Amino acid sequence: MNLSFILFFFVKGLEISAPIAFAALGAVFSERSGVINIALEGIMIVTSFTIVWAAIALHSIWLGLLFAIVAGSLIALIHAVVSVTFRVDQIVSGVAINIFAVGLSRFLSQKVFGQETQTPTNAYLFPRFLGINSMAFLLIPIALIGWFVLYRTVFGLRLRTVGENPEAADTLGLNVYGLRYAGVIISGALCGLSAATLFPSQWISGMTAGRGYIALAAMIFGRWDPVGAVLASLLFGYADTFRIMFETKIPIPGQFVQMFPYVLAVVVLAGMVGKARAPAADGKPYEKGED
Amino acid sequence: MAGIKLRLDRYKLLEIFAPVAGFLASIVVLLIIVIVVGESPGEALTAIYKFSLSSSAKVATILSVSIPLFFAGIAVAFAFQSGVFNIGAEGQYYFGGLIGAMAGIYLHLPAFIHIPVVILFSMLGGALWALIPAILKVTKNVHEVITTIMFNSIALALVNYLVNGPLSGLGQGKSLEPQTAKIQSTALFGKLNGFFRLLGWNIPDYVYLDYSLIVAVITGFIVWFVLFRMRYGFEIRAIGTSLDVSRYAGMKVKQLQLAAFIISGALSGLIGLQEIFAIRGYYTYGIASGLGFDGIAIALIGKNSPLGVVFAALLFAFLKQAGYGLQFYTSVPNSVIYVITGLMILFIVVINEVVAAYIRTLRKKEAV
Repeated sequence: MNLSFILFFFVKGLEISAPIAFAALGAVFSERSGVINIALEGIMIVTSFTIVWAAIALHSIWLGLLFAIVAGSLIALIHAVVSVTFRVDQIVSGVAINIFAVGLSRFLSQKVFGQETQTPTNAYLFPRFLGINSMAFLLIPIALIGWFVLYRTVFGLRLRTVGENPEAADTLGLNVYGLRYAGVIISGALCGLSAATLFPSQWISGMTAGRGYIALAAMIFGRWDPVGAVLASLLFGYADTFRIMFETKIPIPGQFVQMFPYVLAVVVLAGMVGKARAPAADGKPYEKGED
Repeated sequence: MAGIKLRLDRYKLLEIFAPVAGFLASIVVLLIIVIVVGESPGEALTAIYKFSLSSSAKVATILSVSIPLFFAGIAVAFAFQSGVFNIGAEGQYYFGGLIGAMAGIYLHLPAFIHIPVVILFSMLGGALWALIPAILKVTKNVHEVITTIMFNSIALALVNYLVNGPLSGLGQGKSLEPQTAKIQSTALFGKLNGFFRLLGWNIPDYVYLDYSLIVAVITGFIVWFVLFRMRYGFEIRAIGTSLDVSRYAGMKVKQLQLAAFIISGALSGLIGLQEIFAIRGYYTYGIASGLGFDGIAIALIGKNSPLGVVFAALLFAFLKQAGYGLQFYTSVPNSVIYVITGLMILFIVVINEVVAAYIRTLRKKEAV
């Protein structure tokens, strides 16, 4: 095992972690504002379709990315309207959006490309750096920006206040609904970056394979903190990279190796007892007081 | 008195309004999609009619398709009633079905015992698969939505391994699809088509109205009885309505939720009965997938009540057939049904909230 192999393992792991990490970062913003976003999986399905579709149609992966971010934000907006404005149970809304997203992407794939379960390959790709999709490296600055925004800006402070104590925030004159909309839409936009790092060369039905949910597990394991969530995502990503690179060399049946990330998520969550606390108003719809 | 009764009825009507309005709104969206795609709404509706209600055989098909959907819906609804989100019905029926099939393959029993035994084993398997997420929820407060989804993926991989490896019965069947050995004839579910023919409903042989329909009717009744006529049912509904109040009232919230979660898993185990014991006669990695997620939609549309779930399962079966009709006769892909289903849930829950707010203001006015 030489040096270049080790280096490759490290960058490959970053590439595989990135889609989960961007979504987990998004989840932090959504949940710190008080909205559980189980729809991440569905949003990721839609963004990973949109990026391929727009890149092929407009001959540019950058425009593809732009459309993916817009599409992710729009689906997230649905979640915000339903769960913030109409105060529907956030999990119910998320589950419904996931059903909708699966149907939407397959429907569009059939109508646009004549095939329901996959698109043609997209030749317009991001530049590569050190042998991987260069977009994966964006993770590091974006995670730091995420941390800065959440803890060092007025917006971040307000967002966290709304997630901890919406009544107090409301009394202070903060726009609870507006801030929650912002949190949810940021999570949708970040799923656009998940799509950029997942597999922008082709969309295949089922390709997200539960990464949206794993991102939620990573966010919890990362204690609702941007840096923590990204580090937890790296744990999942590197575990998966190890699986992919050594699958054929491990003397246990492939199916057990495939279970690994999911088992890891359960074990990690089970080991989290009492060590982390969700934002106090997380998952609780807020009703503006009557005047 | 009459006045009060009338007003109560008005509230009831308002409550039924949400599902109906949500359904109609999503049909409107469907027709808009049809127009956008460049088809005529009239033709689309004809296509749906032809595939769903045009003959007694088509109607019987809807009933047949609704059986596993009913189990999926009632399983998810039971957990929902206690405030537990069992998103894991998918994995629970994959595993439950396999355990049930094992009992059907390897136990040697007379038919009148064998059939109940395979049903119980299917339930047992489903309950087992719900056990770890349930325990983690009540003891360590790990959110069940994430664990059950992880367990879905784990079940899929495990079942894939088992039917390809230790439990493979390849060579017995004609298909190359990985599958178990054949289930013994004593455990297979017969059809009720002959019985329905006696009643004057002529159902062709290719439609499966089998013993699982009887199981569904019995299950529905038992679940209704437990939920609405037993102390346990009252308690889990109380937990589902307000966790804090139930806790203050001295209910053993954790044990009750644990039990509801496991019962939900057991009910999920029934989802595969029709396909495994009536249609295929063996277990395969390729059994229908996605029913667990359909179950979530059905429970939500049916408002978690057994009767509501019956209607929602029939509606869902109708939608599935409608999707095939659209795909067959028009250029609208089948997947549009999932777009519509997702939207329908959103419409229903939003309208629900709006109606609930309206009822609150009505009540306030009455109080004044």
